Amino acid sequence: MPRSLRRPVGERVLADGTVRAPLDEGDVDDAAARFREAGVEAVAICFMHAYANPAHEAAVAERLAAALPGVYCSASSAVLPQVRFYDRVSTTVLNAAVGPILDRYLTNLTARLDEAGFVGIMLIMQSNGGVTTPGVAAKLAASTLLSGPAAAPVAGLAYSEPHGERSFITVDMGGTSFDAALVRDGAPELTTDARIAKHALALPSLEINTIGAGGGSIGWIDEGGLLRMGPASAGADPGPACYGRGGTLPTCSDANLVLGYLSPEFFAGGRMTLDRDAAAAAIERDIAQPLGLSLAEAAFGMFRVMNVNMASGIREITVQKGFDPRDFPLICAGGAGPIHAAMIAEELEIGRILVPRESSIFCAAGMLRSDLKHDYVRSYHTPFSAEGLDTGRFQSALRSMTDEANETLASEGIRPEARRFDYALDLRYLGQYHEVRVDVPEAELNGPDMDAVGGCLHRTHNRLYGYDLEADGTAIELVNLRLSATGITEKPPIAREARVDTKADCARKGVRPAFLPGAGDFRDVTVYDGDMLRYGHRIEGPAIIEQVNTTVLLPGGYILGCDELGSFVMEKA
Amino acid sequence: MTDTLTIDPVLVSVLQRRFKSITEEMGLTLLRTTRSPILNEARDFVTGLYDAKGRMLEQTEYIPVLAFALQPVCEYIVEYFGDDIAEGDTIIHNDVFTRGNQNADVAIFKPIFHDGRLVAWSACKGHQADIGGAVAGGYNPEASEVWQEAFRIPPVKLHEGGKLRRDVWDLIFANVRYEVVQEDIKAQIGGCVVGERGVKGLFERYGADTMLAHIDELFQSTERMIRKEIAGLPDGTYTGESTVYYDGVRDGSEMTIRLAVTVEGDEVTFDFTGTDPQTPGFVNAPFSSTASAVMLTFLMLINPDIPHNDGIVRPINIVNPEGSFLNAAYPAATTFGNSICGPTSDAIFRAFAQALPGMVSAGWNRSMNFAIVGKDPRHGMRPYVDILFLALKGGSGATEGADGYDHIGLINCAGGLLAQDYEMFEIQDPHVLLMHEYWTDSAGPGHWRGGYGTECAFEIDGEELTGIAFGDGLEEGARAFGLFGGADGPRNTLTLNYPDGQERVPRAKEVVRNIPTGVLYRQQAGGGGGYGDPFDRPAALVADDVRNELVSIARAAEDYGVVVDPASFAVDEAATDKLRSAKR
Repeated sequence: MPRSLRRPVGERVLADGTVRAPLDEGDVDDAAARFREAGVEAVAICFMHAYANPAHEAAVAERLAAALPGVYCSASSAVLPQVRFYDRVSTTVLNAAVGPILDRYLTNLTARLDEAGFVGIMLIMQSNGGVTTPGVAAKLAASTLLSGPAAAPVAGLAYSEPHGERSFITVDMGGTSFDAALVRDGAPELTTDARIAKHALALPSLEINTIGAGGGSIGWIDEGGLLRMGPASAGADPGPACYGRGGTLPTCSDANLVLGYLSPEFFAGGRMTLDRDAAAAAIERDIAQPLGLSLAEAAFGMFRVMNVNMASGIREITVQKGFDPRDFPLICAGGAGPIHAAMIAEELEIGRILVPRESSIFCAAGMLRSDLKHDYVRSYHTPFSAEGLDTGRFQSALRSMTDEANETLASEGIRPEARRFDYALDLRYLGQYHEVRVDVPEAELNGPDMDAVGGCLHRTHNRLYGYDLEADGTAIELVNLRLSATGITEKPPIAREARVDTKADCARKGVRPAFLPGAGDFRDVTVYDGDMLRYGHRIEGPAIIEQVNTTVLLPGGYILGCDELGSFVMEKA
Repeated sequence: MTDTLTIDPVLVSVLQRRFKSITEEMGLTLLRTTRSPILNEARDFVTGLYDAKGRMLEQTEYIPVLAFALQPVCEYIVEYFGDDIAEGDTIIHNDVFTRGNQNADVAIFKPIFHDGRLVAWSACKGHQADIGGAVAGGYNPEASEVWQEAFRIPPVKLHEGGKLRRDVWDLIFANVRYEVVQEDIKAQIGGCVVGERGVKGLFERYGADTMLAHIDELFQSTERMIRKEIAGLPDGTYTGESTVYYDGVRDGSEMTIRLAVTVEGDEVTFDFTGTDPQTPGFVNAPFSSTASAVMLTFLMLINPDIPHNDGIVRPINIVNPEGSFLNAAYPAATTFGNSICGPTSDAIFRAFAQALPGMVSAGWNRSMNFAIVGKDPRHGMRPYVDILFLALKGGSGATEGADGYDHIGLINCAGGLLAQDYEMFEIQDPHVLLMHEYWTDSAGPGHWRGGYGTECAFEIDGEELTGIAFGDGLEEGARAFGLFGGADGPRNTLTLNYPDGQERVPRAKEVVRNIPTGVLYRQQAGGGGGYGDPFDRPAALVADDVRNELVSIARAAEDYGVVVDPASFAVDEAATDKLRSAKR
């Protein structure tokens, strides 16, 4: 945002909500005149401590709406009424930046759908893993910014249902990027510390860790002679050397082809032929020769470094948050993911891997199963103790969030019995600077059980940071109250297969040499047609399973089965 | 290394990445759990892992002036304790005469054992809000000996075999003013536990022999990278000087750094012989602090992808004879040492400007620091200290092809210093922020201009206030220098307006006592130096800065020879051509 379009307005509210200086309406009018002249389409209104007293922001929003008809106005106290000026400003500016675009787009799309006689309900995916209606999305446009991979956890819940798993890791590996998310007890992890091109986005977003690792990741040798993969990617164009579209650099897909994991003839179901010689030449020249390795060793090194990079991406959302990845099965999707799934799991010592049959449209499937979801926050900074907490103020903050949620869900046509409210408190030890979020059952909110909630803080703090202050008896502070409101929608049923009595042999396509991690050399490996595998089939590794959109590598020592939803399940023998 | 063990180059990469992510997890612990804004907002700490001999495996310096602040101490601790190290021990240290870098930077070390054998160390060091001495907050411009600055802690065990030594804990914290320091030391211990858990996991998974052999290869591969980098620099000896003004004791004093950098093959030597002698005040650096300044400046000039481990320091030699103000002898006061990083960097940039004109930047703004110590009437007169990081961030120097960074802060932190959140600033301290803006015309003009500095004003409503100035950049000679025709950035300014109308301008190093409640604090932090002739700067870029109120109409004409229309902000091409050709 150019500095010349950031206009100061005289006013001042203090942290306790009191007004130190009144609003200078002349400044607002001057700003409006400047914006009109510059052809501004959207305005973000951000004043100090507006979360504690939104009156000035609301007055400016009203005045600007009159002065600048048709301009998208976004006040920070409406977008994110919580303390921390930088986070709130950045989030509000992002909201204003995408607001007019999303608003126009949704207006046009709705009109076109009406013309086309669409009678369904259109819902928009949000970064928090829920969906919303177009009207709500247009007002809080920033809530859609990280929505692309946000349906993965919901999809994961559907596919893990037959196994009774409510906690798992989902990963989605495509051509250029790798998205990893953690779901615990049916609920994905949320963050309020996301980034869009270095700008802070403090709205609750699913904690999805995206790293630059995909089929197109380029292999290179650094100046110290160490092998690296990515983050640079050849993408789809020019693409890996083996695509024959002009790419000459050795990529992850080139290594997978040389190692025999990918078939030159059956890539994309045979719609594309891969050039193994080009892949081998690129790896030989850029990796094998500089490192003094054979072609196979070099390609396998590339494969391993990829697996380590992706495992590190998973470690960031597990180990670094204090969770042991071994406690979670891995749900692996994306066109390029299932070749690496078993070895990523090996790296993290994860025992079970689930590969949904339609792994390349995993997120799209998840969107169809997502509930409506809205997040609310109110700042109330106070000692969290029987004496320090003003119950009246606490209750009124809760009520105002609940009322707002009910209003929004009602406008989206959600009946009261299909509404679910989850409350949480941001707490910290007295004097600390950052908070830990603690979930609180609704029943405890009338008069919160200070000891029980405090116990949650101690446990979470120790898990995350290696210590707690329970024994010290340190006082606890409340910073924010949060509400996550869900409108439960009907889910389309997933087709279930009947168990078959046949053997997996009926799906055998042939045999080809592939480099086996355990053997350290090429061996003849059986190739199966994934589309022929049925619920009840069982295959012992090593094997390769090919489908139109993906290939699964089943290493030695692993067993692959098919579940009733058609997903492949890999486990250590 | 065992003979039979073959090195797996891929595992070397894996370990390097893993060590890095462990040090980042340790850092996250400190960021999220500490209480002093010096740690959780200004991020004045470093986390690291070391091998059993104290050699650096990896570190993450959240403030680069700590880039070499842990390894020398770790080596000292290994020598000092010898075999007397057991699992579950933790060791605390701050002493500058046993290889520390600054008294207020307190380190915790935790030995890591595998199968009963010491295999590594995890460590973190953070700038604590207080560490005893004559003045709260750690900076004492009136000090002439170390004891007036801090409670000295040569290495001592806080835990022995997992058991807290309460007597030692109580001794230390009986000598520290603020309780918050105890809490932040607990956070540092938590950070070391996080590091220990990570490294133990690796040894369990791969076994000691494999780990040690591959760590050795990691050092060697890093050493190959850095040697190759140095070999690419032209051989020769290059000299640079830089001056620090006023030692806090002697009016008009000037201390000059004299540096000769010699590049010879794949090694580089930084020789400070001939630098002025140590001062009677606190404007002195311990060896480790100067070594950190050299490392951080040199690492800014070369490939940023080289891992930070023992290998990177091997071909870098530092000659810094004891007795100068860059390596002061016992028992000198040295708390200003980290602040001499700026002048040391200036000397290094000036030297390398001869060898590598395209790689160096012009001068960075030298930071003018001011700490407020007082009591907070909103919280029962709770004592507080705030090193006003919000007010001091100036701009960096320009380099060939790029303007300097705006509002980046001192070179000691090389961009790692965050501005404090405005609302948290007011909630944390009894201060009301009135202004924080880019300072118009503060960037040193050049073909590539320096980064902009900032102006800040706030009201201080605390009571029993004392201010401690410990900075630089108030004198003409301390302006951020321009290079190759670029101009200097402006001087810093600092003013206190008392409610009774009195105006007080502190000196660069001074304890200002009896500051009245309600004082208006104003500071301007200068921009960085420009690079190349400002008359070569594209006129459209100058006009952009005028439109954004970063350059005034008058200075656009005077400094850049660019005439900008005050209403449309368009460049008047004819007038600009005339002005630019006339002044050549």
